[in-house]
Amino acid sequence: MTPTILLNRRATLGGVAALLAFQFGPAPALAATRGGRMVFGRYADSLFLDPVLNDANVDIWVLTNLYDTLLLPTADGQGVQPGLATAYEIADAGRTVLLTLREGVKFSDGTPLTPDDVIFSLDRARDPKAGAWNSLLASIEKVENASGKIAIRLKSPDATIIPALATFNSAILPRRAFEATAGATMEDKAKAFSEKPIGTGPFVMVEWKRGSVMKLKRNPSHWKTAEDGQKLPYLEELEFQIIPDDATRLLKLKAGEIDGTELVPYARVKELQADPTLRMELWPSTRVAYLTMNVRPTLRGAANPLANVKVRQALNHAINKDAVIAVTTLGLGTPMRSFMSSTTPLFSASPLYPYDLAKAKGLLAEAGMAGGFDLTCLTLSGNQDNLNNLTLAQQMWAQIGVRLKIEQVDNATLTARYRAGDFQLRTAAWTNDISDPGQITSYFAYFPNIGSLHSGWQDARVDELYLASQKEIDPAKRAAQYKEIQDTYNAAAPIVYLYETPYPVAFRVKAKGFVQIPLGNNIFEAASIEK
Amino acid sequence: MNRAGAIVGRIAQIIPTFFLIGVVVFVLARLLPGDAVSAMLGDRATDEAVRRITHQLGLDRSMVAQFLTFIGQAAQGHFGQSLAFRVPVASLISERLPVTLLLTLMATLIAMCMALPLAFVAAMNANRWPDILIRAVFQVGLSSPVFYVGLVLLTVFAAGLRLFPVGGYGEGLPAHLYHLFLPALTLALSFSAVIMRTLRGSILAVLRAEFVDFARAKGLSARVILLRHVLRSAAITTVTLVGLHIGSLLGGAVITESVFAVPGVGRLMVDSIFSRDYPVIQALTLVLAVLVSLTFLATDLLHGWLDPRAGV
Repeated sequence: MTPTILLNRRATLGGVAALLAFQFGPAPALAATRGGRMVFGRYADSLFLDPVLNDANVDIWVLTNLYDTLLLPTADGQGVQPGLATAYEIADAGRTVLLTLREGVKFSDGTPLTPDDVIFSLDRARDPKAGAWNSLLASIEKVENASGKIAIRLKSPDATIIPALATFNSAILPRRAFEATAGATMEDKAKAFSEKPIGTGPFVMVEWKRGSVMKLKRNPSHWKTAEDGQKLPYLEELEFQIIPDDATRLLKLKAGEIDGTELVPYARVKELQADPTLRMELWPSTRVAYLTMNVRPTLRGAANPLANVKVRQALNHAINKDAVIAVTTLGLGTPMRSFMSSTTPLFSASPLYPYDLAKAKGLLAEAGMAGGFDLTCLTLSGNQDNLNNLTLAQQMWAQIGVRLKIEQVDNATLTARYRAGDFQLRTAAWTNDISDPGQITSYFAYFPNIGSLHSGWQDARVDELYLASQKEIDPAKRAAQYKEIQDTYNAAAPIVYLYETPYPVAFRVKAKGFVQIPLGNNIFEAASIEK
Repeated sequence: MNRAGAIVGRIAQIIPTFFLIGVVVFVLARLLPGDAVSAMLGDRATDEAVRRITHQLGLDRSMVAQFLTFIGQAAQGHFGQSLAFRVPVASLISERLPVTLLLTLMATLIAMCMALPLAFVAAMNANRWPDILIRAVFQVGLSSPVFYVGLVLLTVFAAGLRLFPVGGYGEGLPAHLYHLFLPALTLALSFSAVIMRTLRGSILAVLRAEFVDFARAKGLSARVILLRHVLRSAAITTVTLVGLHIGSLLGGAVITESVFAVPGVGRLMVDSIFSRDYPVIQALTLVLAVLVSLTFLATDLLHGWLDPRAGV
């Protein structure tokens, strides 16, 4: 039987109590084989396995195998389920979150999890001077031990605090072990600690040769229980091998030298699907691919046609998204229907700019640009998907008289020019880090954060709605706010909408039970190797 | 000047070279567009986060102050911390340098083993079919791109025939040698073509030299002439060539290391340039410069031994 847990969530401003049932995430239908070693091929190595100070998906996506958070994202990425806390309760008119800490949880060094560890970890994660993620916990005023429960006191009600407690940066670390680590500053300690992380997650790192291999071993004190009543994880060992070249990674998989691999190129998916020794998995993701437009009236001293909303709409109508999906993703993608992915909570769909050349030409004529214009798009050199997208856009836009020039640069240059607003159009992709629409909205649409993707687009009503949505705890009201934000943004079209794609992961048939949630987290707790 | 004195002199010349390399690489790394913190934090960072981390890493100090810190540390053998990996640069390099050195050594040995006998056969049969065939085959090796040769070798010998592992490095020296054979062969294919052609040319030139005619006239056997006179003279150019080439092999194994998932310094260098990881770029350039200089010194010594007229 699948264990179920009741989570007590006292509804917030309305004061209505509700009981929600949660199910433990990934549980295979049949009891899995215990023991054994799984080797997983990764395209790049992690850089810094500290939940608070890391900056990249190569870290974020594997951290959950080492550390746990108080709440955990559900496998569909839409909500939360119990983690190190068995239940939470929102009290004090939305200004306090009370969490019941799970009993009997131990860190991988054998020490018990205490409220002190939680207070320490959340205080470190929300320190405005620490790392790039503290803003996710910015609403917290104080974390304290309230007669056995963890009380998170908020400066004001925060609709995102619950998903934030299920996000990687609020992972719980053992205070004593962390503080006893060598190092003059907290950052030095974090560096040393992350070399030999101690957490409550399903695995413990035993060896890390950077750029080559990372070896994890089963954490015998992990708290989760499998279907057979025994402790998770199933695997005795989990090994990440770093194989940057796509072709080599797949050759290794086919030769049986690795059991699974991530980021299978779209062009190879059909071939792997046809191989009876392999299983191709396509996990729903929050990934969207689009082109960011700079909408400032002038760029480098010249007038910028993208400042005109009709021009932006025309460019969108002239893109045949289905054709782009067919060529670049070989049919694996789906058209974007809002700026956020359809897997994001409070996503609201709209028929976004159907392919219509006549309408595109009409809009350009209305904008006084019937003769077309020149456009330059910055892109990451060597990225084939982006080049495919741009080559297609070049041909599609040529039909309405728009001449697209492609400028390829390396990542550091791309980022620097993007941040400086020194671009007209750029290729981009996004995945959410938190199961909430607030994060993507704060980057895409809310100007004060990063100038709406550095595009210069600003809408006072959207900014106001976003701020209100952060404090709105009534789900219906919040959904209405996000519908209005999406409708307004999508009509203003500061991006060229392309597609959503799943995460393509491939395994040998004997390797089972891996889960990748829409946020990208690679979850191996229920993974197993059949004998 | 005696030989030992000459060697010390050469080493003394190397020190200012390193200083100049240090200056050049320090300035060049910072002339690249973009900066380490933006590259590190990516698209999402707020201006505030970029400012804060730039300050934490000391990258908001003047270029001169940063340079003095770098030179001061380098002189004591410290290279600071990697900005991307947050570990001491020295530990990153010391983990990966032996991998690349072993790969380079194996590639050189394989290239020599292929090139030397075949160069002789080609030279002895100049412009006849064995010569034409050997040259044609090596020409293909020379002109095929490394990533393609690597993938073909992997597909055929590793994934297909299962004679070798598909990339990686393994654990323990026997496993390292086994894993590195195909990447070393990939590197050796183009390298051996260069050695073979040069050695063949040198042998042909030596065979036409007067001292060989004289040796023949003295009645020395063809074998003795070939081994004692022709090989020694022809080896001089080859040794120089191999020495020069090891430098480019050391720094140029990037693509091979990526295709074969070999965790060497080539890949580290490219990753560090992309992430503007200045301390790693600087340290690695200096370390490679030391190695190349030592290789040149060894080449000169060997050259001097083969041809005493050359001196050190």
